[in-house]
Amino acid sequence: MSGDRRARVIAAVEAKSGGEWSPARLCEVTPDIVGVTGAGAMLMSGDLSQGSLCTTNSVTNVIDDLQFTLGEGPCIDAYHQDKVVLEPDLAHPATARWFAFTPKALEAGIRAIFGFPLREGAARLGALHLYQDKPGYLSDDQHADALLMAEVIARQVINAQAGASPGRMAEDLEATADFHSIVHNAAGIVSVQLGVSVTDALVRLRAYAFSENRLVRDVAEDIVNKRLRLS
Amino acid sequence: MESSRDQNIIHYLIDLADNLVEDFDVVELLTGLTHRCVDMLGISAAGVMLASPPGELRLVATSSEAMQLVELFELQAHEGPCLDAFHTGKPVEHEILRHGSGRWPRFSIVALEAGFQSVFALPLRLRETTIGALNLFSMGESPMAEADIVVAGGFADLATISVIQYGAALEAQRVNEQLSQAITSRIVIEQAKGVISERAQIDLSEAFSRLRNYGRRHSTRLADVAQNAIDGTLDPEAWAAPPTPDA
Repeated sequence: MSGDRRARVIAAVEAKSGGEWSPARLCEVTPDIVGVTGAGAMLMSGDLSQGSLCTTNSVTNVIDDLQFTLGEGPCIDAYHQDKVVLEPDLAHPATARWFAFTPKALEAGIRAIFGFPLREGAARLGALHLYQDKPGYLSDDQHADALLMAEVIARQVINAQAGASPGRMAEDLEATADFHSIVHNAAGIVSVQLGVSVTDALVRLRAYAFSENRLVRDVAEDIVNKRLRLS
Repeated sequence: MESSRDQNIIHYLIDLADNLVEDFDVVELLTGLTHRCVDMLGISAAGVMLASPPGELRLVATSSEAMQLVELFELQAHEGPCLDAFHTGKPVEHEILRHGSGRWPRFSIVALEAGFQSVFALPLRLRETTIGALNLFSMGESPMAEADIVVAGGFADLATISVIQYGAALEAQRVNEQLSQAITSRIVIEQAKGVISERAQIDLSEAFSRLRNYGRRHSTRLADVAQNAIDGTLDPEAWAAPPTPDA
């Protein structure tokens, strides 16, 4: 049975991706294959989101940004707990969690959200997030297909990186990944302005963004463009 | 007696299968394999060679000192059943050793001297990938029972899969760490751009140029220059305005 599913999903991916198997392309076709509104993949290491591998629309951009800003959300949990995280009804969650993430996610039109760990063997890469614009569980089929897509995406990330020059990121990954560069630029600036470490500067940026109800990326832009100075 | 042997075989197969899901030590696994083969398959000694790095066979495990000496000689002499099984990817059928002649003239002398009269070898192989070989030596001339050969094959297959999977898992982790490292380096560079742009009151792209040029002038990697910039240990010369236009 699982062999059939694998064959079906692989064939569908092949057809929809036009034969291109970069992790970004796989991510792009995931909503179609699983039957959800949008999908995105986050790369994580230690405590932090390192960046987004890909997003499929502006809403998944928001999901990625919120988790990067707030340090909480389905991908964060899926990665840290190393298991699938399901929230079929974000407006009426059975489990009280993500107090900062949830209201903003609802504002963006997300009604159901799911996180799947991205792993290859014991290597943990991050997490894949899928969302729906209406509440509801994933069906058994959708769940199984999502697991398969997570597996395939993770393997492609490892394959892509295995071919990279030492110390560099694989071109395939770099091309579509978003490392929140502007946030790190701003952290550097703030660290000098406030005389604190870059790590502390990042914390301050996030705290400010949260208290102003803004995405940290937007705050960072203001800082880099000298429209804002933290004190 | 037979049913307790069967139970032992089943228990060992389950043990081997555990290595597919738990952490294990490769040398321990393969040494255990040689001892189990001796215990259960009516042979006198067993040895395992693995190709690591790929193509280069090394002796990894043996069930006895005598076996170890013979196997080391096999490697040195480039001649013997283990090597053949590895290179052909096929079992080496039961062979009675003849002093100084037969398939392995030099090897047979050393093996006979150690008390071994016949040999049998299996490749450690998963589909197209042969990772090594398992040698089964006997002090008598009789071949192994057919049933024992089948069991030996089962043990060899499970051991092979465990070792391959272990290698692949290590590789994936290594690559993942490389990826994390590469991303971290990028992030540090972006942070350094911010630091320098604020210190020198220049824009980000000029900050990047100055960092990169400093790295070149001092033959230092950009990632290291960037790390120094955010640590506050970077020479101020790095972000000073260049005295002449950059070439």
